[in-house]
Amino acid sequence: MTADRGAHPASPLRSRTGAVAVLSLVVAVVLGDSGVVTLALPEILREFGAGVGEVAWVLIAFNLVLALVAVPAARLCVRGDPSVATAGGLIGFAAATSVCAAAPSLGVLIAARAAQAAGGALVIVGSLELLVEATDAERAGARRWAAAGVAGAALGPVVGGVLTSAFSWRAIFVVQIPIGLLALPAVIALRGRVVPNGVDPDMSPDRPHVLANLALALLSAALTAALFLLVLMLVDGWRHSPAVAAAAVTAVPVAALAAGPVFRGVRAGTRSEAVAGSVLIAGGLTGLALLPGAELVWTVAPQVLIGLGLGLSVDSLTAAALRDRIPRALHGGWTIAARHAGVVFGLAILTPVFTADLHHAETPAKEAIAGLVLDAPLPASTKLELAERLGRRLVAERGRVPDLRPAFTTLRVPATQAPAAAHLERGLEDQLKRAATRAFRNAFLVAAVLALLALGPALALRDRSRS
Amino acid sequence: MRRIALPLIAVVLVAAVLGVQVAAGGGHYAPLRPADPCTPRPVPPIPAQLEPLAERIVLVGLDSAACRLGISRERLVLAVAETRTLSPQTTAAVKAGLRDAVDRLGREGRLPKVSQLLPEALDQANLPGIVKTIIEAIPDSLVDKLLPSGPLLRRTIDELDINRLLHELNDPRQLNSALQSAILQAVLRQILDRLRP
Repeated sequence: MTADRGAHPASPLRSRTGAVAVLSLVVAVVLGDSGVVTLALPEILREFGAGVGEVAWVLIAFNLVLALVAVPAARLCVRGDPSVATAGGLIGFAAATSVCAAAPSLGVLIAARAAQAAGGALVIVGSLELLVEATDAERAGARRWAAAGVAGAALGPVVGGVLTSAFSWRAIFVVQIPIGLLALPAVIALRGRVVPNGVDPDMSPDRPHVLANLALALLSAALTAALFLLVLMLVDGWRHSPAVAAAAVTAVPVAALAAGPVFRGVRAGTRSEAVAGSVLIAGGLTGLALLPGAELVWTVAPQVLIGLGLGLSVDSLTAAALRDRIPRALHGGWTIAARHAGVVFGLAILTPVFTADLHHAETPAKEAIAGLVLDAPLPASTKLELAERLGRRLVAERGRVPDLRPAFTTLRVPATQAPAAAHLERGLEDQLKRAATRAFRNAFLVAAVLALLALGPALALRDRSRS
Repeated sequence: MRRIALPLIAVVLVAAVLGVQVAAGGGHYAPLRPADPCTPRPVPPIPAQLEPLAERIVLVGLDSAACRLGISRERLVLAVAETRTLSPQTTAAVKAGLRDAVDRLGREGRLPKVSQLLPEALDQANLPGIVKTIIEAIPDSLVDKLLPSGPLLRRTIDELDINRLLHELNDPRQLNSALQSAILQAVLRQILDRLRP
């Protein structure tokens, strides 16, 4: 059984194409919201003077509510007209996004993010039915929906980073408001096109695809680590600007989009793709845990592995979870719930791991800094002055990776000592980067284990070639 | 075969990336570990000036004190910087470490003679001009006979109030004053000891 289409004359091709594009965009935007603020977290953290654990709730709140609301929202869509539910979701999403953009405090921002996710859940599950209607082909519509979700999840952090760097973190939300509202006419135009297929969601003959959804949840948890931790390491640990970090993490979405064409000749079904994807994501995360230096170039190859794994596994598993299952929106809701529950699970177990490791990294970093200052070929009086300044920096930024450059900017040293002072400054920066990189190691390794755990359900999948 | 091709390619790609990273030092990229304070570090040449000499004695002494306390030199320095007040046990270890440093530098013939340091010391000392002139008139050989560097430095260390010095670290004038006071006391005691029959 599949959802029936209304007895309306076929729409002109151009308006269908436009509706597909707009609906795909809005799905990508809503699912991109899952991680869009990742690169903005350090700026949000500074603006509201919060800790990493508190600011992580800007991400967690959205994903938690999306995970909890996706299935009930899908039931609502299935019972009525999906276009009505989607339009309601769009309005709610746009309203909550406006509050996010103007949030005066972290509490308001987190609450608005939760409301944003509730509206977004209706938009995502409703769009699945509307995309099938607009593409006039069930599998093509579902695949388009899954691909839009993957693209959004992969590109979200990059777009967020660029906007944060160019304007401010608030710009991330400002640009989403018109995009949400832009989709309204297309959604309203599809009103009455999808008629309920008569399947009571509570009496659905098809159970959720447990294995595919479990694999999606575990891989999403691991992927969250890849983006969330990597971005924090680049911006807070290695002190790159959000723009540079955004440029650096584009390797993931580029590789994700390239995965299809690259592996076209060897794709052999959901199980094969999910297994390969899990191995690639686990390998990429292990690569991030074993970085040999703090140069951006070292992150590229692990990111490419992660991106290829993402491109291979997530849309394949989503397609498997939806294939031949009705009501479609309900099963779409289960995949969304699984993915975002995975994101929350990942954040919940990884945030304490890396915040604790960051705290424990403080002592070795301080000792390394003390050692370099003691042995620096500078006069003792200069060392004493420098030690005092460095101490103030460390106290001022307790709990974060400190920026030691201000300690050197006003340091007066004779011209003959300037090269030694500059060498010491570089040495101290290097030690901080080493300590910060080391602090993220365990979290990346835990995330790699999550990706490896996805091998279990992936191997148990019934292999079936893509059609 | 086709079904395992993709997972095999994935494994090969992962092995290649991890292989390159491990070969380039991945896994060992971590902050410097403090050296063992009980293993003597090489000491570079010490110019015959007060500040470099004092710095070298402090650096070698910190190693020795940390070794006595069973911690790294860096951990000792950070603890001192944070508390600025040492326990009697740590104070004793620091003084003993400084004396060890003087002994080691003396054994290695790295301590400059007092006559070499005297002009700079007089320049910095807050003494009346007539006194400076009289001291300057004393022959170097007599100065070095009356005030051999090793014993004088050991006496100076004994006279030091370590906790006071730590509190004066940010104030060079007060720090100098405290050091000069300790050196003067040590000089007087040393001379008196020499003059005693």
